[in-house]
Amino acid sequence: MRASAHPHTRGGDLRVRFMSVVLGYGALALAACTLAPLAGSTHISLARVFDRSIPFADNVDAQIFFVARMPRVLTGAIVGATLASAGVVMQALLGNPLATPFTLGVSTGSALGAVLVITFGSSAAAGALASVPLASLAGAVVASAIVYVLATRPGRPISTMVLLLAGVTLNAFFSALILFVQYAADFTQAYRTIRWLMGDLDVGSFTPILAALPMVLAALAIFAFLTRSLNLLSVGADTAATRGVDIGWTQRLAFFSASLATAAAVSLAGPIGFVGIVVPHLVRLMVGVDHRIVLPASALFGAAFLVACDLIARTVLAPIEVPVGVVTAMVGGPFFLWLLVRRS
Amino acid sequence: MLRAESVSFGYSGGFTLTDATVTIAAGAVTGLLGPNGCGKTTLLKLLCGVLHPRSGRVMIGERTLASMTRRELARHVAVVPQETHPAFEYTVLEMVLMGRHPHLSAFQLEGPADFEIARQALDATGTGHLSTRSYMTLSGGEKQRVVIASALAQATDILLLDEPTASLDLGYQLEIASLLARLNVERRVTMVLATHDLNLAASLCKCVIVMRDGRILAAGATDEVLTDQTVRRLYDVEADVQFHSRAGHLTVVPIRRTL
Amino acid sequence: MAARQAKLIGPVVVALLVWGANPVASVEARADQQTARREGSQPTTTAPARRVVSLVPNVTEMLFAVGAGSQVVGVSSYDDFPAETKALPRVGALLDPDTERILSLRPDLVIVYGSQGEVEGQFARAGIHVYAYRHGGVDSILQAIRDVARLTGHQSDGDRVIRDLRTRLEAVRMRVRGEPRLRTMLVIGRDVGTLRGVYVSGGVGFLHELLDLAGGDDAFGDIKREATQPSNETMIVRAPQVIMELHPGEQPPAATLQKERAVWNMLASVPAVRNGRVHLLYGGYLLAAGPRIGLAAEALARVLHPDSVK
Repeated sequence: MRASAHPHTRGGDLRVRFMSVVLGYGALALAACTLAPLAGSTHISLARVFDRSIPFADNVDAQIFFVARMPRVLTGAIVGATLASAGVVMQALLGNPLATPFTLGVSTGSALGAVLVITFGSSAAAGALASVPLASLAGAVVASAIVYVLATRPGRPISTMVLLLAGVTLNAFFSALILFVQYAADFTQAYRTIRWLMGDLDVGSFTPILAALPMVLAALAIFAFLTRSLNLLSVGADTAATRGVDIGWTQRLAFFSASLATAAAVSLAGPIGFVGIVVPHLVRLMVGVDHRIVLPASALFGAAFLVACDLIARTVLAPIEVPVGVVTAMVGGPFFLWLLVRRS
Repeated sequence: MLRAESVSFGYSGGFTLTDATVTIAAGAVTGLLGPNGCGKTTLLKLLCGVLHPRSGRVMIGERTLASMTRRELARHVAVVPQETHPAFEYTVLEMVLMGRHPHLSAFQLEGPADFEIARQALDATGTGHLSTRSYMTLSGGEKQRVVIASALAQATDILLLDEPTASLDLGYQLEIASLLARLNVERRVTMVLATHDLNLAASLCKCVIVMRDGRILAAGATDEVLTDQTVRRLYDVEADVQFHSRAGHLTVVPIRRTL
Repeated sequence: MAARQAKLIGPVVVALLVWGANPVASVEARADQQTARREGSQPTTTAPARRVVSLVPNVTEMLFAVGAGSQVVGVSSYDDFPAETKALPRVGALLDPDTERILSLRPDLVIVYGSQGEVEGQFARAGIHVYAYRHGGVDSILQAIRDVARLTGHQSDGDRVIRDLRTRLEAVRMRVRGEPRLRTMLVIGRDVGTLRGVYVSGGVGFLHELLDLAGGDDAFGDIKREATQPSNETMIVRAPQVIMELHPGEQPPAATLQKERAVWNMLASVPAVRNGRVHLLYGGYLLAAGPRIGLAAEALARVLHPDSVK
């Protein structure tokens, strides 16, 4: 028997709830980001890391901390926050708690871009154009554009059923293309593709992070703007319209921002699954379903979650590294089993 | 005062509503009656601005709906839909507070005044004790009362209701009917009720508008418009429309189909 | 197309290293496989094969090296060495062997990968001898040369090739004997322009053995896998003294080469980077598990210990 809803507050402390959630989850995310670079398969000493007397290029501890681990933890935080919050928005847009950031084809589009470059564009002479991150970004954009064109009519609200169908159609079609390209690929290329699909946070420098950051920040800003409208939208589109929500704009903005966020995250680190669905679910269990609270909480918890998963990925079988997507999947599977058991 | 002037609506297939002109009496409960597909839901959606007429216009006072923004319109007209299925487990209070949306700016959080209005709406519908409960766990009647409270929280002069008792059993039907009657009197809210429950309309509505096949057949005081002939014209049903002294209003007893 | 094929020999070999040795074979094919291999590797009374189809590029090289080139009637899609193979009919490869095409060439010997169990079974049922090649170290390669030489009636040529190879490899070993062993990271794959997707030799296999011969200690030798994918952190910690990238294709223009080499500068504390010992080597012979391993060993030694080369 379903227990009654989480204790709600009387008037006035919505602001208090918001602040306490942001501070609490923010502290968690901060802790994860500061502690994770200290931990790993190799022991490093914090004192040595910040020892100025050793030249940076000679200081192995500092190299490990700043060159290897820092960008990786930062990437994990950004990608985790992005995928989790994109998941929240996608679930509100589609009116379904089982939606993920990948439901509408963004990650399949990314994968097609990546696999095309890995298979056909891997000569050094092609230079920057052969870059997998750029190609996967392009693929994501193309996929989202196709879904958008298929599912929308100008001036009319988007039917979530049609949107979902368009996404499923695109996923199926692009997946077939990916299989075809893979068949034409040789072994190494096929393996590299599989490896990319498992996700990789080891970006090695701050450049890719800085490249993805504008997209991520733009998307998060739009998310913040949409939160209350998403509450109303998820009760019913027509009802929301009668309460003053511009359904057409809200849906389009939600679709655009969620796709942008997902595209940025996937082009940076590959399609890491389960973050976009496990985190929102967990967060809703803890803070309720008001999107104004769920969204920032999910972003912050998502950051901590992925950083933690990556820490596990790089330490549990050291010196061999487990791909981070495998770790999130191993967390996600049992989580859903537990959800299922709990409900029945 | 809410009125539609020669409005028509339809998709590329055909028209669901043709050349309808209605005037909604202020402060009264008006019923929209007719069989399924007669266009009453379309008319309701045109009256609240969810749909835009292909021709004609809808006005509130001196202003057309087209000239108002969504938010502005939402401060004048609230709607109680037939069914509400939220995708997430909102609490009753959260559901009711959503009615405050048109009064809040983009990043503004609900303040004490908003909570007070919500509280009053809950009390008016007798659901104050349910405020922390999850909406999805409520009974049919309780859910509908909460949705009505949510519409009340919007603090509008006009309330449109689409088949408010269609999915409820008899007890809840009467409960909602008496609630609406009370709200109409206490809060002086103009109501428009689309329904195919003739007895509900007879008990609640001072005026009725009857529709068939996308056209208005008649409009006026319930006592005058709701007759045996009207029922036959609307539903091809022979019925007995009588004033029932115990109920205190007209009742409609269907006898047989005429076709 | 040729350039693409050139790039593919190496990766196919490399990919096999990475793939491991898990044959995808049905139970039925497994039984056939056992029969086929037995026949393939101990042909004591059968006549030498006259029409050979080879799905394995490095074994094709071996065939040509022992003088059986004229007996080869079909090669894989990825064959490109020696040049004569380019004129020969293509019959597919590991994932997509075209059995119909192969049968149409009327072979009396088909060379397949050890993991192609079903295909083996098919040919065995058709009464065609099958030789299953399995990846391994230098000894496996030499054994394979001996096997295909015997199968095609070029036993003495085969022995000669093996002798020459052994001599050559031994010469390399002797040459670098006095030099200090250098901790080397042997890179067999990397995403272009970045330090992501780095694949290195992990202490097992012929590349590892050639490195060892050439005077290098495999920086990841303890992993005991044919290939592994280290993170940036791991590479910093292992601190190799030399980094050698092996590429199967042609050397790119100087500017690109410079850029690719500069990618490693990010790992500033690694001795190989500090001392300018990051080497990018290009050539199909570097990754071919066949008669050219002598050439490969010499190239590795030349780069590792330039002073030792006369």
